[in-house]
Amino acid sequence: MSYIVQTDGLTKTIQGKDLVQDINIHVKKGEIYGFLGPNGAGKTTVMKLITNLWKPSKGTITLFGRPLTAKSYDVYKRMGSIIEFPTFYENLSSRENLKLHCAYMGYHHPSGITSVLELLHIADAADKPVRNYSLGMKQRLGIARAILCKPELLILDEPINGLDPAGIKQIRNLLKTLCTEYGTTMIVSSHILSEVESIADTIGIIAGGKLLQEIPMQEIIEMNAAYIELKTSNLNYTACLLADKLQLTNFKVMDDAAIRIYDKNCSPQQISDLLAQHQIAIHTIYTKADTLEDYFLKLTTEGMPYADFN
Amino acid sequence: MLTLIKLEWQKHRIVTYMRNAFILAALLCLFIFAMDFLGIANDPDTGVPDTAPGMNHISATIELFANMSFLVFTGVMLSTFLISPYRNGTIHLMFSYPIKRQKILAAQMLAVWIFNLAALVITKLLLYSCVQLGSQFMVPAFVSDFDMTSYRFYLQLILKSAVLVSMGFIALYAGMATLSSKVTIVTSFLLIFLTQANIGDITLSNYAAVPLLLTVISVLFAFLSLYRAETKDLP
Repeated sequence: MSYIVQTDGLTKTIQGKDLVQDINIHVKKGEIYGFLGPNGAGKTTVMKLITNLWKPSKGTITLFGRPLTAKSYDVYKRMGSIIEFPTFYENLSSRENLKLHCAYMGYHHPSGITSVLELLHIADAADKPVRNYSLGMKQRLGIARAILCKPELLILDEPINGLDPAGIKQIRNLLKTLCTEYGTTMIVSSHILSEVESIADTIGIIAGGKLLQEIPMQEIIEMNAAYIELKTSNLNYTACLLADKLQLTNFKVMDDAAIRIYDKNCSPQQISDLLAQHQIAIHTIYTKADTLEDYFLKLTTEGMPYADFN
Repeated sequence: MLTLIKLEWQKHRIVTYMRNAFILAALLCLFIFAMDFLGIANDPDTGVPDTAPGMNHISATIELFANMSFLVFTGVMLSTFLISPYRNGTIHLMFSYPIKRQKILAAQMLAVWIFNLAALVITKLLLYSCVQLGSQFMVPAFVSDFDMTSYRFYLQLILKSAVLVSMGFIALYAGMATLSSKVTIVTSFLLIFLTQANIGDITLSNYAAVPLLLTVISVLFAFLSLYRAETKDLP
Protein backbone atom coordinates (compact mmCIF):
# COMPACT_ATOMS: atom_id res chain seq x y z
CA MET A 1 0.00 0.00 0.00
CA SER A 2 1.42 3.39 -0.96
CA TYR A 3 0.60 6.36 1.20
CA ILE A 4 0.52 10.07 0.50
CA VAL A 5 1.65 10.80 4.04
CA GLN A 6 3.53 8.36 6.20
CA THR A 7 5.46 8.96 9.38
CA ASP A 8 7.77 6.49 10.99
CA GLY A 9 8.70 6.86 14.64
CA LEU A 10 8.10 10.60 14.46
CA THR A 11 9.30 12.26 17.65
CA LYS A 12 9.67 15.91 18.58
CA THR A 13 11.54 16.82 21.73
CA ILE A 14 11.89 20.39 22.98
CA GLN A 15 13.96 21.16 26.06
CA GLY A 16 14.02 17.52 27.06
CA LYS A 17 10.25 17.12 26.82
CA ASP A 18 8.69 14.85 24.20
CA LEU A 19 5.84 16.77 22.56
CA VAL A 20 5.07 13.79 20.37
CA GLN A 21 6.63 10.39 20.54
CA ASP A 22 6.95 7.57 18.06
CA ILE A 23 4.05 8.64 15.84
CA ASN A 24 3.32 6.35 12.90
CA ILE A 25 0.51 7.65 10.73
CA HIS A 26 -0.54 6.39 7.33
CA VAL A 27 -2.71 8.51 5.04
CA LYS A 28 -3.94 6.90 1.84
CA LYS A 29 -4.45 8.77 -1.41
CA GLY A 30 -7.85 10.41 -1.70
CA GLU A 31 -8.96 9.80 1.86
CA ILE A 32 -9.93 12.17 4.64
CA TYR A 33 -7.86 11.44 7.70
CA GLY A 34 -9.45 12.71 10.90
CA PHE A 35 -6.86 13.60 13.49
CA LEU A 36 -8.32 13.64 16.97
CA GLY A 37 -6.98 14.33 20.40
CA PRO A 38 -7.58 16.37 23.52
CA ASN A 39 -6.01 19.81 23.87
CA GLY A 40 -2.24 19.58 24.08
CA ALA A 41 -2.22 16.01 22.73
CA GLY A 42 0.22 16.88 19.95
CA LYS A 43 -2.04 17.26 16.87
CA THR A 44 -0.67 20.65 15.87
CA THR A 45 2.90 19.50 16.55
CA VAL A 46 2.45 16.61 14.10
CA MET A 47 0.92 18.97 11.53
CA LYS A 48 3.79 21.43 11.95
CA LEU A 49 6.24 18.58 11.43
CA ILE A 50 4.45 17.35 8.31
CA THR A 51 4.41 20.87 6.86
CA ASN A 52 8.14 21.23 7.69
CA LEU A 53 7.58 24.26 9.95
CA TRP A 54 9.23 22.19 12.66
CA LYS A 55 11.92 19.57 12.14
CA PRO A 56 11.61 16.14 13.75
CA SER A 57 13.97 15.21 16.58
CA LYS A 58 13.68 11.57 15.53
CA GLY A 59 11.85 9.58 12.90
CA THR A 60 10.98 10.26 9.29
CA ILE A 61 8.15 11.77 7.28
CA THR A 62 7.39 10.57 3.77
CA LEU A 63 5.22 12.76 1.55
CA PHE A 64 4.14 11.57 -1.89
CA GLY A 65 6.58 8.70 -1.57
CA ARG A 66 9.61 10.89 -0.88
CA PRO A 67 11.30 11.58 2.43
CA LEU A 68 10.68 15.10 3.70
CA THR A 69 13.91 17.02 4.30
CA ALA A 70 14.79 20.65 5.05
CA LYS A 71 15.26 21.11 1.29
CA SER A 72 11.96 19.58 0.15
CA TYR A 73 10.58 22.82 -1.31
CA ASP A 74 8.85 21.32 -4.35
CA VAL A 75 6.48 19.37 -2.17
CA TYR A 76 4.87 22.65 -1.00
CA LYS A 77 3.45 23.13 -4.50
CA ARG A 78 1.32 20.05 -3.93
CA MET A 79 0.12 21.04 -0.47
CA GLY A 80 -2.32 23.48 1.07
CA SER A 81 -2.50 24.02 4.80
CA ILE A 82 -3.93 25.90 7.74
CA ILE A 83 -1.96 25.35 10.91
CA GLU A 84 -3.41 26.69 14.18
CA PHE A 85 -5.14 29.72 12.65
CA PRO A 86 -4.88 31.33 9.21
CA THR A 87 -2.71 34.46 9.04
CA PHE A 88 -2.98 37.20 6.43
CA TYR A 89 -1.60 40.56 5.45
CA GLU A 90 -4.32 42.37 7.31
CA ASN A 91 -3.93 45.70 5.51
CA LEU A 92 -4.53 44.01 2.14
CA SER A 93 -7.87 42.81 0.79
CA SER A 94 -8.63 39.11 0.49
CA ARG A 95 -8.23 39.35 -3.29
CA GLU A 96 -4.78 40.90 -2.86
CA ASN A 97 -3.86 38.25 -0.31
CA LEU A 98 -4.85 35.50 -2.72
CA LYS A 99 -3.01 37.16 -5.61
CA LEU A 100 0.15 37.24 -3.51
CA HIS A 101 -0.37 33.59 -2.59
CA CYS A 102 -0.62 32.65 -6.27
CA ALA A 103 2.51 34.65 -7.08
CA TYR A 104 4.53 32.88 -4.37
CA MET A 105 3.15 29.47 -5.33
CA GLY A 106 3.90 30.06 -9.02
CA TYR A 107 0.24 29.42 -9.84
CA HIS A 108 -1.17 31.45 -12.72
CA HIS A 109 -4.93 31.21 -12.93
CA PRO A 110 -6.49 34.67 -12.34
CA SER A 111 -10.10 33.45 -12.59
CA GLY A 112 -9.34 30.87 -9.89
CA ILE A 113 -9.26 33.64 -7.27
CA THR A 114 -12.79 34.81 -8.07
CA SER A 115 -14.07 31.22 -8.21
CA VAL A 116 -12.64 30.31 -4.84
CA LEU A 117 -13.92 33.54 -3.23
CA GLU A 118 -17.39 32.73 -4.56
CA LEU A 119 -17.13 29.12 -3.45
CA LEU A 120 -16.40 30.22 0.12
CA HIS A 121 -19.05 32.99 0.02
CA ILE A 122 -16.66 35.86 0.64
CA ALA A 123 -16.75 37.40 -2.86
CA ASP A 124 -18.78 40.38 -1.61
CA ALA A 125 -16.02 41.35 0.82
CA ALA A 126 -13.20 40.50 -1.59
CA ASP A 127 -11.92 44.06 -1.85
CA LYS A 128 -12.18 45.00 1.82
CA PRO A 129 -9.09 44.88 4.06
CA VAL A 130 -8.83 41.56 5.88
CA ARG A 131 -8.41 43.37 9.23
CA ASN A 132 -12.16 44.14 9.05
CA TYR A 133 -13.12 40.47 8.66
CA SER A 134 -14.81 38.42 11.38
CA LEU A 135 -13.18 35.24 12.69
CA GLY A 136 -15.48 33.12 10.53
CA MET A 137 -14.67 35.10 7.39
CA LYS A 138 -10.95 34.76 8.08
CA GLN A 139 -11.40 31.04 8.48
CA ARG A 140 -13.22 30.88 5.13
CA LEU A 141 -10.48 32.93 3.52
CA GLY A 142 -7.89 30.60 5.03
CA ILE A 143 -9.65 27.62 3.48
CA ALA A 144 -10.00 29.51 0.18
CA ARG A 145 -6.26 30.11 0.14
CA ALA A 146 -5.49 26.52 1.10
CA ILE A 147 -7.53 25.11 -1.81
CA LEU A 148 -6.77 27.88 -4.33
CA CYS A 149 -3.83 26.20 -6.04
CA LYS A 150 -5.65 22.86 -6.24
CA PRO A 151 -3.40 20.95 -3.84
CA GLU A 152 -3.20 17.17 -3.81
CA LEU A 153 -2.81 17.21 -0.03
CA LEU A 154 -4.71 19.48 2.35
CA ILE A 155 -3.66 19.79 5.98
CA LEU A 156 -6.31 21.59 8.00
CA ASP A 157 -5.93 22.23 11.69
CA GLU A 158 -9.36 22.92 13.21
CA PRO A 159 -10.81 24.23 9.91
CA ILE A 160 -14.29 24.91 11.28
CA ASN A 161 -13.14 27.12 14.16
CA GLY A 162 -15.23 30.27 14.33
CA LEU A 163 -17.79 29.13 11.75
CA ASP A 164 -21.54 29.22 12.30
CA PRO A 165 -23.60 26.02 11.79
CA ALA A 166 -24.37 26.91 8.17
CA GLY A 167 -20.68 27.59 7.55
CA ILE A 168 -19.72 24.28 9.17
CA LYS A 169 -22.13 22.40 6.91
CA GLN A 170 -20.81 24.23 3.89
CA ILE A 171 -17.18 23.45 4.71
CA ARG A 172 -18.08 19.81 5.43
CA ASN A 173 -19.68 19.53 1.99
CA LEU A 174 -16.77 21.33 0.37
CA LEU A 175 -14.24 18.96 1.91
CA LYS A 176 -16.30 15.95 0.84
CA THR A 177 -16.55 17.33 -2.71
CA LEU A 178 -12.80 18.00 -2.90
CA CYS A 179 -12.18 14.46 -1.76
CA THR A 180 -14.67 12.68 -4.02
CA GLU A 181 -14.47 14.81 -7.18
CA TYR A 182 -10.86 15.95 -7.18
CA GLY A 183 -9.28 13.10 -5.21
CA THR A 184 -7.72 15.52 -2.72
CA THR A 185 -6.17 13.82 0.28
CA MET A 186 -6.83 15.55 3.60
CA ILE A 187 -5.66 15.49 7.15
CA VAL A 188 -8.24 17.29 9.26
CA SER A 189 -8.04 17.88 12.97
CA SER A 190 -11.04 19.05 14.90
CA HIS A 191 -12.32 19.04 18.42
CA ILE A 192 -15.90 18.73 17.11
CA LEU A 193 -15.88 14.96 16.86
CA SER A 194 -19.27 14.66 15.17
CA GLU A 195 -17.89 16.71 12.28
CA VAL A 196 -14.90 14.43 11.82
CA GLU A 197 -17.18 11.42 12.17
CA SER A 198 -19.32 12.60 9.27
CA ILE A 199 -16.47 13.11 6.81
CA ALA A 200 -13.43 11.03 7.81
CA ASP A 201 -12.45 7.74 6.24
CA THR A 202 -9.73 6.99 8.76
CA ILE A 203 -9.29 8.25 12.29
CA GLY A 204 -6.00 8.78 14.12
CA ILE A 205 -6.39 9.29 17.86
CA ILE A 206 -3.56 10.98 19.69
CA ALA A 207 -3.26 11.64 23.43
CA GLY A 208 -0.28 12.61 25.56
CA GLY A 209 1.90 12.87 22.45
CA LYS A 210 1.32 9.25 21.45
CA LEU A 211 -0.83 7.85 18.67
CA LEU A 212 -3.26 5.59 20.50
CA GLN A 213 -5.02 4.19 17.49
CA GLU A 214 -5.32 4.53 13.75
CA ILE A 215 -8.48 2.92 12.52
CA PRO A 216 -10.88 3.11 9.53
CA MET A 217 -14.11 4.93 10.43
CA GLN A 218 -16.13 2.00 9.13
CA GLU A 219 -14.44 -0.28 11.63
CA ILE A 220 -15.39 2.04 14.50
CA ILE A 221 -18.99 2.04 13.32
CA GLU A 222 -19.02 -1.76 13.13
CA MET A 223 -17.26 -2.20 16.47
CA ASN A 224 -19.68 0.08 18.19
CA ALA A 225 -22.87 -1.31 16.72
CA ALA A 226 -23.99 -2.41 20.16
CA TYR A 227 -27.53 -3.67 19.50
CA ILE A 228 -30.61 -3.41 17.32
CA GLU A 229 -33.70 -2.11 19.09
CA LEU A 230 -37.06 -3.19 17.76
CA LYS A 231 -40.65 -2.25 18.58
CA THR A 232 -43.50 -4.14 16.95
CA SER A 233 -47.27 -4.65 17.18
CA ASN A 234 -46.80 -8.16 18.63
CA LEU A 235 -43.74 -8.48 20.74
CA ASN A 236 -44.08 -12.09 21.91
CA TYR A 237 -44.71 -13.43 18.43
CA THR A 238 -41.73 -11.36 17.19
CA ALA A 239 -39.52 -12.93 19.86
CA CYS A 240 -40.61 -16.41 18.80
CA LEU A 241 -39.92 -15.65 15.16
CA LEU A 242 -36.46 -14.33 15.94
CA ALA A 243 -35.59 -17.46 17.86
CA ASP A 244 -37.24 -19.87 15.46
CA LYS A 245 -36.60 -18.44 12.02
CA LEU A 246 -33.33 -16.56 12.53
CA GLN A 247 -31.99 -18.84 15.26
CA LEU A 248 -31.18 -15.85 17.44
CA THR A 249 -30.44 -16.43 21.08
CA ASN A 250 -28.68 -13.25 22.08
CA PHE A 251 -31.67 -10.92 22.47
CA LYS A 252 -33.75 -9.52 25.30
CA VAL A 253 -37.38 -8.43 25.66
CA MET A 254 -37.40 -5.12 27.49
CA ASP A 255 -40.10 -3.83 29.85
CA ASP A 256 -41.18 -1.03 27.60
CA ALA A 257 -42.27 -3.38 24.88
CA ALA A 258 -39.05 -3.41 22.91
CA ILE A 259 -36.62 -6.12 21.91
CA ARG A 260 -32.88 -5.60 21.93
CA ILE A 261 -30.87 -7.89 19.66
CA TYR A 262 -27.19 -8.16 20.51
CA ASP A 263 -26.25 -10.69 17.83
CA LYS A 264 -23.76 -8.98 15.52
CA ASN A 265 -24.50 -11.31 12.62
CA CYS A 266 -28.08 -10.17 12.39
CA SER A 267 -28.94 -7.11 10.28
CA PRO A 268 -32.02 -4.84 10.59
CA GLN A 269 -32.81 -5.76 6.99
CA GLN A 270 -33.12 -9.48 7.82
CA ILE A 271 -35.41 -8.70 10.74
CA SER A 272 -37.66 -6.35 8.80
CA ASP A 273 -37.91 -8.89 5.94
CA LEU A 274 -38.89 -11.62 8.40
CA LEU A 275 -41.53 -9.49 10.12
CA ALA A 276 -42.96 -8.35 6.81
CA GLN A 277 -43.36 -11.97 5.72
CA HIS A 278 -45.34 -12.64 8.89
CA GLN A 279 -47.33 -9.41 8.63
CA ILE A 280 -46.10 -7.93 11.89
CA ALA A 281 -46.06 -4.15 11.88
CA ILE A 282 -42.75 -2.58 12.83
CA HIS A 283 -43.08 0.56 14.92
CA THR A 284 -39.39 1.31 15.16
CA ILE A 285 -36.16 -0.47 14.30
CA TYR A 286 -32.73 1.09 14.61
CA THR A 287 -29.16 0.25 15.36
CA LYS A 288 -27.97 1.82 18.55
CA ALA A 289 -24.25 2.51 18.13
CA ASP A 290 -21.73 4.40 20.21
CA THR A 291 -20.69 7.62 18.54
CA LEU A 292 -17.11 8.45 17.67
CA GLU A 293 -17.18 10.68 20.70
CA ASP A 294 -18.03 7.72 22.96
CA TYR A 295 -15.24 5.72 21.37
CA PHE A 296 -12.81 8.62 21.63
CA LEU A 297 -13.62 9.25 25.28
CA LYS A 298 -13.31 5.57 26.08
CA LEU A 299 -9.88 5.44 24.45
CA THR A 300 -8.38 8.69 25.69
CA THR A 301 -9.69 8.69 29.26
CA GLU A 302 -8.76 5.13 30.15
CA GLY A 303 -7.09 5.44 33.51
CA MET A 304 -7.43 9.22 33.51
CA PRO A 305 -9.61 10.95 36.08
CA TYR A 306 -10.24 13.92 33.82
CA ALA A 307 -9.44 15.05 30.32
CA ASP A 308 -10.14 18.38 28.67
CA PHE A 309 -11.92 17.87 25.38
CA ASN A 310 -12.66 21.52 24.77
CA MET B 1 15.04 37.43 -6.52
CA LEU B 2 13.80 40.65 -8.12
CA THR B 3 10.27 39.21 -8.25
CA LEU B 4 10.45 38.33 -4.57
CA ILE B 5 11.65 41.85 -3.71
CA LYS B 6 8.78 43.36 -5.73
CA LEU B 7 6.31 41.09 -3.91
CA GLU B 8 7.68 42.30 -0.58
CA TRP B 9 7.13 45.91 -1.62
CA GLN B 10 3.65 45.06 -2.85
CA LYS B 11 2.81 43.21 0.36
CA HIS B 12 3.89 46.08 2.59
CA ARG B 13 2.41 48.82 0.41
CA ILE B 14 5.71 50.49 -0.40
CA VAL B 15 3.85 53.59 -1.59
CA THR B 16 3.12 54.41 2.08
CA TYR B 17 6.84 54.19 2.89
CA MET B 18 7.64 56.37 -0.15
CA ARG B 19 5.24 58.99 1.15
CA ASN B 20 6.77 58.82 4.64
CA ALA B 21 10.32 59.03 3.27
CA PHE B 22 9.30 62.04 1.21
CA ILE B 23 7.84 63.77 4.30
CA LEU B 24 11.03 63.00 6.22
CA ALA B 25 13.19 64.38 3.39
CA ALA B 26 11.08 67.54 3.22
CA LEU B 27 11.36 68.09 6.98
CA LEU B 28 15.11 67.55 6.86
CA CYS B 29 15.40 70.04 3.99
CA LEU B 30 13.48 72.59 5.99
CA PHE B 31 15.60 71.96 9.09
CA ILE B 32 18.97 72.14 7.30
CA PHE B 33 17.86 75.24 5.39
CA ALA B 34 16.79 76.90 8.65
CA MET B 35 20.13 76.01 10.29
CA ASP B 36 22.25 77.18 7.38
CA PHE B 37 20.39 80.29 6.30
CA LEU B 38 17.97 81.32 9.04
CA GLY B 39 20.48 80.96 11.89
CA ILE B 40 18.48 78.72 14.18
CA ALA B 41 21.69 76.98 15.27
CA ASN B 42 23.67 80.18 15.73
CA ASP B 43 24.99 81.33 19.07
CA PRO B 44 23.14 84.59 19.89
CA ASP B 45 26.36 86.18 21.18
CA THR B 46 28.82 85.24 18.44
CA GLY B 47 26.38 84.86 15.52
CA VAL B 48 28.13 81.67 14.34
CA PRO B 49 26.76 78.11 14.55
CA ASP B 50 27.00 76.68 18.05
CA THR B 51 28.32 73.28 17.05
CA ALA B 52 30.63 70.54 18.28
CA PRO B 53 34.18 70.65 16.92
CA GLY B 54 34.23 69.77 13.23
CA MET B 55 30.49 70.16 12.86
CA ASN B 56 30.59 73.68 11.50
CA HIS B 57 30.84 72.24 7.98
CA ILE B 58 27.49 71.79 6.29
CA SER B 59 28.31 68.33 4.87
CA ALA B 60 28.93 66.96 8.39
CA THR B 61 25.59 68.36 9.54
CA ILE B 62 23.72 67.00 6.53
CA GLU B 63 25.34 63.57 6.91
CA LEU B 64 24.60 63.48 10.64
CA PHE B 65 20.90 64.32 10.42
CA ALA B 66 20.21 62.31 7.27
CA ASN B 67 22.07 59.29 8.66
CA MET B 68 20.32 59.50 12.02
CA SER B 69 16.91 59.74 10.45
CA PHE B 70 17.39 56.98 7.92
CA LEU B 71 19.06 54.54 10.27
CA VAL B 72 15.92 54.67 12.40
CA PHE B 73 13.75 54.52 9.26
CA THR B 74 15.68 51.42 8.14
CA GLY B 75 15.29 49.88 11.61
CA VAL B 76 11.54 50.44 11.54
CA MET B 77 11.23 48.95 8.05
CA LEU B 78 13.41 45.96 8.89
CA SER B 79 11.29 45.24 11.93
CA THR B 80 8.09 45.50 9.86
CA PHE B 81 9.41 43.36 7.01
CA LEU B 82 11.35 40.76 9.01
CA ILE B 83 10.38 40.74 12.69
CA SER B 84 6.61 41.34 12.49
CA PRO B 85 6.01 38.19 10.36
CA TYR B 86 7.38 36.12 13.25
CA ARG B 87 5.12 37.92 15.69
CA ASN B 88 1.89 37.89 13.64
CA GLY B 89 2.44 34.39 12.24
CA THR B 90 2.68 35.27 8.55
CA ILE B 91 6.16 33.71 8.50
CA HIS B 92 4.39 30.31 8.74
CA LEU B 93 2.68 31.18 5.49
CA MET B 94 5.88 32.45 3.86
CA PHE B 95 7.75 29.27 4.80
CA SER B 96 5.01 27.10 3.31
CA TYR B 97 5.86 28.35 -0.18
CA PRO B 98 8.06 26.36 -2.55
CA ILE B 99 10.93 28.83 -2.13
CA LYS B 100 14.15 28.47 -0.16
CA ARG B 101 13.69 30.15 3.23
CA GLN B 102 17.03 31.95 3.05
CA LYS B 103 15.98 33.38 -0.31
CA ILE B 104 12.72 34.67 1.20
CA LEU B 105 14.56 36.33 4.09
CA ALA B 106 17.26 37.71 1.79
CA ALA B 107 14.56 39.21 -0.45
CA GLN B 108 12.96 40.86 2.58
CA MET B 109 16.32 42.30 3.66
CA LEU B 110 17.17 43.50 0.17
CA ALA B 111 13.71 45.05 -0.26
CA VAL B 112 14.42 47.25 2.78
CA TRP B 113 18.07 47.87 1.87
CA ILE B 114 17.39 48.96 -1.72
CA PHE B 115 14.50 51.20 -0.73
CA ASN B 116 16.41 52.92 2.07
CA LEU B 117 19.58 53.31 0.03
CA ALA B 118 17.60 54.99 -2.74
CA ALA B 119 15.65 57.12 -0.26
CA LEU B 120 18.80 58.19 1.62
CA VAL B 121 20.73 59.03 -1.55
CA ILE B 122 17.82 61.08 -2.90
CA THR B 123 17.32 62.82 0.45
CA LYS B 124 21.00 63.74 0.71
CA LEU B 125 20.98 65.01 -2.87
CA LEU B 126 17.94 67.12 -2.02
CA LEU B 127 19.63 68.48 1.10
CA TYR B 128 22.86 69.37 -0.72
CA SER B 129 20.87 70.89 -3.59
CA CYS B 130 18.83 72.91 -1.13
CA VAL B 131 22.02 74.30 0.47
CA GLN B 132 23.60 74.90 -2.94
CA LEU B 133 20.54 76.72 -4.17
CA GLY B 134 20.16 78.77 -0.99
CA SER B 135 23.77 79.90 -1.04
CA GLN B 136 23.12 81.57 -4.44
CA PHE B 137 20.82 84.06 -2.72
CA MET B 138 21.66 84.00 0.99
CA VAL B 139 24.72 83.90 3.24
CA PRO B 140 25.20 80.45 4.77
CA ALA B 141 26.07 80.11 8.48
CA PHE B 142 27.96 76.84 7.92
CA VAL B 143 31.11 76.34 5.87
CA SER B 144 30.20 74.89 2.47
CA ASP B 145 32.62 72.02 1.88
CA PHE B 146 31.14 70.05 -1.01
CA ASP B 147 31.43 70.18 -4.77
CA MET B 148 28.40 68.89 -6.62
CA THR B 149 30.20 69.05 -9.95
CA SER B 150 32.71 66.39 -8.91
CA TYR B 151 31.99 62.72 -9.50
CA ARG B 152 33.77 61.99 -6.17
CA PHE B 153 30.97 63.78 -4.36
CA TYR B 154 28.38 61.37 -5.79
CA LEU B 155 30.58 58.32 -5.31
CA GLN B 156 31.17 59.19 -1.64
CA LEU B 157 27.53 60.00 -1.09
CA ILE B 158 26.43 56.61 -2.44
CA LEU B 159 29.11 54.65 -0.55
CA LYS B 160 28.44 56.39 2.75
CA SER B 161 24.71 55.84 2.34
CA ALA B 162 25.25 52.16 1.55
CA VAL B 163 27.37 51.71 4.69
CA LEU B 164 24.75 53.48 6.80
CA VAL B 165 21.80 51.47 5.48
CA SER B 166 23.77 48.22 5.83
CA MET B 167 24.29 49.02 9.51
CA GLY B 168 20.59 48.35 9.91
CA PHE B 169 21.42 44.63 9.62
CA ILE B 170 23.23 44.80 12.96
CA ALA B 171 20.03 46.12 14.51
CA LEU B 172 18.08 43.47 12.62
CA TYR B 173 20.17 40.66 14.08
CA ALA B 174 19.48 41.93 17.59
CA GLY B 175 15.76 42.13 16.74
CA MET B 176 15.70 38.65 15.18
CA ALA B 177 17.44 37.13 18.20
CA THR B 178 14.76 38.49 20.52
CA LEU B 179 11.91 38.63 17.97
CA SER B 180 11.31 42.18 19.07
CA SER B 181 10.64 45.24 16.90
CA LYS B 182 11.50 47.47 19.84
CA VAL B 183 14.96 45.90 20.17
CA THR B 184 15.58 46.53 16.45
CA ILE B 185 14.66 50.20 16.71
CA VAL B 186 16.50 50.78 20.00
CA THR B 187 19.62 49.10 18.55
CA SER B 188 19.38 51.50 15.57
CA PHE B 189 19.44 54.42 18.02
CA LEU B 190 22.42 52.95 19.85
CA LEU B 191 24.27 52.54 16.55
CA ILE B 192 23.67 56.20 15.79
CA PHE B 193 25.21 57.20 19.11
CA LEU B 194 28.08 54.80 18.62
CA THR B 195 29.01 56.00 15.15
CA GLN B 196 27.92 59.64 15.04
CA ALA B 197 28.42 60.91 18.60
CA ASN B 198 31.66 62.52 19.69
CA ILE B 199 33.68 62.69 22.89
CA GLY B 200 35.58 65.97 22.77
CA ASP B 201 36.74 66.07 19.18
CA ILE B 202 36.93 62.29 18.85
CA THR B 203 34.24 60.59 16.80
CA LEU B 204 34.26 57.18 15.16
CA SER B 205 33.15 58.66 11.88
CA ASN B 206 36.52 60.45 11.61
CA TYR B 207 38.35 57.16 11.13
CA ALA B 208 38.55 55.94 7.55
CA ALA B 209 38.66 52.28 8.58
CA VAL B 210 35.36 52.53 10.45
CA PRO B 211 33.03 52.43 7.39
CA LEU B 212 34.89 49.40 6.06
CA LEU B 213 34.74 47.66 9.41
CA LEU B 214 31.06 48.49 9.83
CA THR B 215 30.28 47.14 6.38
CA VAL B 216 32.06 43.87 7.19
CA ILE B 217 30.23 43.61 10.51
CA SER B 218 26.88 44.42 8.85
CA VAL B 219 27.36 41.74 6.19
CA LEU B 220 28.32 39.28 8.91
CA PHE B 221 25.19 40.08 10.90
CA ALA B 222 23.04 39.84 7.75
CA PHE B 223 24.52 36.38 7.17
CA LEU B 224 23.87 35.41 10.79
CA SER B 225 20.22 36.45 10.40
CA LEU B 226 19.87 34.01 7.50
CA TYR B 227 22.04 31.25 8.93
CA ARG B 228 20.10 28.16 10.05
CA ALA B 229 16.84 29.53 8.58
CA GLU B 230 16.40 26.27 6.68
CA THR B 231 16.68 23.99 9.67
CA LYS B 232 15.48 26.15 12.55
CA ASP B 233 11.99 25.51 13.98
CA LEU B 234 9.56 28.37 13.65
CA PRO B 235 8.34 29.83 16.93
